Amino acid sequence: MKILLAEDDFASRKFMDKQLSQYGECDVMVDGEEAVDAFMMALDDEEPYDLVCLDVMMPVMDGYQVLKAIRDIETQKGIPKSERVKVIMTTALNDERNVKMAFELGCEAYAGKPIDMEKFEKVLKKLELI
Amino acid sequence: MADELKEELLEEDASKGKFMTFQTGREYFGISISYVSEIIQMQPITAIPEAEDYIKGLINLRGKIIPVIDVRVRFKMEPVEYTDRTCIIVIDVKSTVIGLIVEKIAEVDDILDEDVVPPPTLGGHKDNEKSKYVYGLARTGDTMKLLLDPEKLIKQEDLNILEEIQEEEQS
Amino acid sequence: MAEEFNTDSMLSMFLYESNQGLEKLEGIILEKQDADCFDDSDINEIFRIMHTIKGSSAVLMYENIKTASHKLEDVFYYLRESHPENVPHRELVEKVLAVSDFITGELEKIKAGSDPDGDEKELVADLEEFLGELKGEIKKQGIRLPKANKQEEPTQFYITPVAEEDSHFYRIVIHYKSDTQMSNIRAYSATYALKEVAEDLLYTPEDILSNEGSHDNILAEGFHMLLQTKASKEEVLELIDSSEAESIDFNEINSTEYGKALTEFGREAPPIVINLDEDKSAAKDDKQQAPIAPGDYVVKSKETGKGKTLAKNQAKQQAIISVNVEKMDALMDMIGELVIAEATVLQNPDLKVPGLDLTNFQKAAAQLAKNTTELQDVIMSMRMMPLTSVFQKMRRIVFDVSRKLGKDIEFEVIGENTEVDKNIIEHISDPLMHLVRNSVDHGIEDDPEVRMANGKSPKGKITLEAKNEGGKVYISVKDDGKGLNKEKLYNKAMENGLIGDKAMSEFTDKDIFKFITLPGFSTKEVVTEYSGRGVGMDVVVKNIQSIGGRLDIDSVEGQGSEMTLVIPLTLAIISGIVIQVGEAPFVIEMASIKEFISVGEDALIQEPGGEEYLVLRGDCFPFIRLGEKYDLPGAKSKLEDGIVAVVEHEGKQICILIDKILQEQEIVVKPIPSYVKKVKGLSGCTQLGDGSIALILDVGGLMIEEERR
Repeated sequence: MKILLAEDDFASRKFMDKQLSQYGECDVMVDGEEAVDAFMMALDDEEPYDLVCLDVMMPVMDGYQVLKAIRDIETQKGIPKSERVKVIMTTALNDERNVKMAFELGCEAYAGKPIDMEKFEKVLKKLELI
Repeated sequence: MADELKEELLEEDASKGKFMTFQTGREYFGISISYVSEIIQMQPITAIPEAEDYIKGLINLRGKIIPVIDVRVRFKMEPVEYTDRTCIIVIDVKSTVIGLIVEKIAEVDDILDEDVVPPPTLGGHKDNEKSKYVYGLARTGDTMKLLLDPEKLIKQEDLNILEEIQEEEQS
Repeated sequence: MAEEFNTDSMLSMFLYESNQGLEKLEGIILEKQDADCFDDSDINEIFRIMHTIKGSSAVLMYENIKTASHKLEDVFYYLRESHPENVPHRELVEKVLAVSDFITGELEKIKAGSDPDGDEKELVADLEEFLGELKGEIKKQGIRLPKANKQEEPTQFYITPVAEEDSHFYRIVIHYKSDTQMSNIRAYSATYALKEVAEDLLYTPEDILSNEGSHDNILAEGFHMLLQTKASKEEVLELIDSSEAESIDFNEINSTEYGKALTEFGREAPPIVINLDEDKSAAKDDKQQAPIAPGDYVVKSKETGKGKTLAKNQAKQQAIISVNVEKMDALMDMIGELVIAEATVLQNPDLKVPGLDLTNFQKAAAQLAKNTTELQDVIMSMRMMPLTSVFQKMRRIVFDVSRKLGKDIEFEVIGENTEVDKNIIEHISDPLMHLVRNSVDHGIEDDPEVRMANGKSPKGKITLEAKNEGGKVYISVKDDGKGLNKEKLYNKAMENGLIGDKAMSEFTDKDIFKFITLPGFSTKEVVTEYSGRGVGMDVVVKNIQSIGGRLDIDSVEGQGSEMTLVIPLTLAIISGIVIQVGEAPFVIEMASIKEFISVGEDALIQEPGGEEYLVLRGDCFPFIRLGEKYDLPGAKSKLEDGIVAVVEHEGKQICILIDKILQEQEIVVKPIPSYVKKVKGLSGCTQLGDGSIALILDVGGLMIEEERR
């Protein structure tokens, strides 16, 4: 599985990288813009990501903007819903409105920090990623 | 901030303890500085009728009402008149805040673990392990300091043992 | 209960809404338990509630709740679509309650931070069976079965954050010695070392590698770190090189504080910042919510994320608003401090300079006092909540216990909309439960024949009533059962050595009834599975007393008993009169004072045993010399020199000798520090305007002492 991880905080990044690497190949970005670039590049190379994990608070572009960008790109390229990349937001923001907005923008899951890795794995299974 | 400083400093390095020492009567006592919140001058005390004799009453510490006890009375020693050197050591033990009325503040001493000797066990009081306010003695400078365990102090158990220690010392 | 949640986070919302739904559900059930069947609106409502809970629990991945609610939803789906007749109502009611209880239990676990690990399989199998029978009935009645209840798996999930049991949260500040070189690099090494064990690590200043200037910052303010790790404190300290550290502040915090601290570290701050305690930002309305949009969370610098200005005012249109309990408590504390501060101003010694013309000042002071009182009233009223939810709980208990014991009992509730302070609700719930259980278990007779023989209807009746009167709330549990037998009570108390040698005639009926509240009292009558040992009653009384209330018991053998909780409405601020005895000021609650009167020695009667009485207008009252009783130096001893306060408590009156009256004042009741063992006759203390401490007299306590003599 190809995974794209965007997280600007070093420690969180190391932690998530370690966790996600057990499921597949993990590319790590440190800001929103890089994440979108990486996503585009993967599409162009015809080796798209299966899973994108996005922190919300990041430099240049925040997680919401990245999510929106990813969905817009997919729509523009005519990628059918069933083939869209799965996106999981990872953030300490647990307000209902934040979660709602993320869902509206089209993510598959929203994981509050500190992340319950057990449930995280369950979600990966439900999303048929593992 | 200062409290945190004191607190962690001593919880870390148990071997390098700083103790607030004070004198009352002829005895010197020491209490780990991690419990000491502040030291204030004597101030008007509102007596609480029918409370224990060593509870002198309540004081108003910047809006917080805390009880103050007379250390001498607590240890069943002859009480002394309060002078202008009498102070109150405010201690905070697991969120219980009380003030100790002491005759005279000495200084902050460094007392190493290895310098602490256990108090003499007294015949017939073998099971007084639990109510040992004084958990040890240490010599600094030229005086013996009786080291107090504030947590026992808070427990309010009766203490006669100190009397006996003094008797022992004097004999 | 649901009101306590901070309704901001996903989890809180889920718990709040689910609990609301279940409360509603229970309400419907209990209302219709004795009916023949549910009507259409009930069915729709129950379906809707289960559907919602199913949906939200699926998103949050609480599988067992989802499955249980789904099954019940299914049942009601069929009921809704097919409207079969002769549905076994009692059975259905039980099943609904079973599901509701299961879900409630799981929600409690989640709320407490543990795993909702309940096994729903049996419950679901049971429902499946019921549903099967139901479908069979529907077919038999010739009704077409509706299309199967479509199940949509959720496509979006919310993973609730976790604080793993073995994860610690630490807040660390390293203070380096002032002559340390390149503290920023040292700080970096500390963070680098901690990465080994860190699950999450934040620090400030952040730019320790890129900005040399951070060195000065660190020396001045210390290097702050927030660490989540499974490592112990010792391990962490080992990793941090403390050779150049002057000191290290090391605090273990919990996950909530950690979450809050993340905000301080300039990360992941929620858009709304409400600071009641801090001076800086203005307090913002909890209900204002600016819409959030992508781009709001771009990180520019550390400052970003704090204190965003709210553009629009979008208050939700709601008749009822939930406010964070912590904020209410903070508000209560502040109004208390305000009252004290007001007194400090109005009674300032500086004003006592003779010759001052204080006319304008007095006018202004009166206005201030008026405003403060109004503010106080409004804030108090915000904390008031109706007893409805507590009473609903009682309903459920009567239902459960009466069924288990096979007793037929009618439960009547009067005045459930009576409002009391939120604090009180938390404290009376358990005692009330106990009293209600007692009534069902011991009050109402086991055998309806016995009841009929006594001219009562075979169906027992328990009435729960609440009313507000004279600044107090009266909540009574009344049953028409067998009542209390004085002899039995007296004998039991005697046997257990609780009342010394006194003959039964020396006690009033009320006193004898109160024996059941003595610790150590337990007759065979009171020990059952449902009301527990007699131990329960004395705990009930303690709980009530802790909020300043009392328990009154009345009973007529053969006819029934009535237990009444009497609780003062407002807890913290009372109107009082400050008096002086000797050098010490005391406060007596205004409501307790009947009058102040000057008397002469001729009114005094002295008994040989030392007790004293005063005769006033033909009545005789016990007399207490407060100065002597409390050993107060300087207290007046001649009646002519002092004033007598006639005080009242529970209908009884006594006289107290005081020196003089100082002033009337609103006082903030503060507890006497717990270190001081409870003194009868004192119910608390307060700070007066000039900073001195006044003890508050507990008239009831004084009376008890007098009686004992």
